[in-house]
Amino acid sequence: MLAAIRQARVTHVVTVPDTHQRTLLDLLAVSPEPELITVCTEDEAMGVNLGLFLGGQRPMLLIQNSGFYAAMNTIRGLSLDARAPACMLIGEFLRDPAVAPADHATRLVNLLEPTLQTWKIPYHRLDGPGDLAAIPQAMDEAWRDRKPVALLVGAPTAEPA
Amino acid sequence: MTSPLLRTDAVAALARARGDMLTLVTMQAVDPWNALGQADSRNFNVAGCMGSAGSIGLGLALARPHDRVLVLDGDGSLLMQLGTLASVGDHRPGNLYHAVFENGIYETSGGQSVPGRGRADLVKLALAAGYRHARRFSSPEELAAGIDGALRETGPVLLSLAIAGPGTISAAVPRVPNKAAQVENMRAALSGEGSQPEQGEIP
Repeated sequence: MLAAIRQARVTHVVTVPDTHQRTLLDLLAVSPEPELITVCTEDEAMGVNLGLFLGGQRPMLLIQNSGFYAAMNTIRGLSLDARAPACMLIGEFLRDPAVAPADHATRLVNLLEPTLQTWKIPYHRLDGPGDLAAIPQAMDEAWRDRKPVALLVGAPTAEPA
Repeated sequence: MTSPLLRTDAVAALARARGDMLTLVTMQAVDPWNALGQADSRNFNVAGCMGSAGSIGLGLALARPHDRVLVLDGDGSLLMQLGTLASVGDHRPGNLYHAVFENGIYETSGGQSVPGRGRADLVKLALAAGYRHARRFSSPEELAAGIDGALRETGPVLLSLAIAGPGTISAAVPRVPNKAAQVENMRAALSGEGSQPEQGEIP
């Protein structure tokens, strides 16, 4: 994932840490690039993302599904209304990767894709290594169309080899 | 003998001291700021974003370390994302100046008191969170004497502006482009393209 993020020319990863992406966060924390910026809430993460974009940088966000729900009004204001790209790696906390999201009993998982559809936010599933090409594609999509795009991380990231 | 500080006094002092600072303005400060001709391509009006001015300022300050960034925030707005103080204090951008208009109320919704009015001290909170400097101004005289020095200090700096009322906007408030057009205008200005400002649809 880190290689794919670098391939996407990401300058900053703005995060409220996500359980599923713990090992990716560990790697980012010791990597000189992209720069990792940790903030207190997903609302703040959206603000920092917009500020970096205004200043000519190419950031992405790394958050959890619960944080996505928490930040929806800010996503509306600072990405959809402002027409600013917000490429979001969203960890699907409580998702069993062997089970389709819609078949989960927990709303944390089964409401995510319907919510994204309602808000007309495009999304791509990252369920395994074969899906990594979606990362640079999603960044390009967010930048080209000036809108939020979600990458749904459906399983915990593995320990680096 | 000092006079009470009005919002229009404080906005005027900040406008005089601004120079080429990048600015982010929210809530009640937007109209008086714009009436003073400050809504240029290095300014972004953060309307309808529920306390995001500080975090946008943090991102902009980190993105543009050679530019000074001035945020005109409100106390009710900052309280909505109070954790921003800790995030700013963690990254400590030396080029970030965070002015907070403190009137103790939610003015747009009818003047209800904000939580912690008269008790939650934003100056002490900012210093405890890691801002390098924070101070309160309560009169036009204090602000006139101290604003230039405060904006020359190494950031992050929090300026609490304890206002006693709104004051009167004496000039016409210009129409400004919508948020999306302001974003494009600031990006163009900072990339050196010097393009014609986009007008966009008025919100």
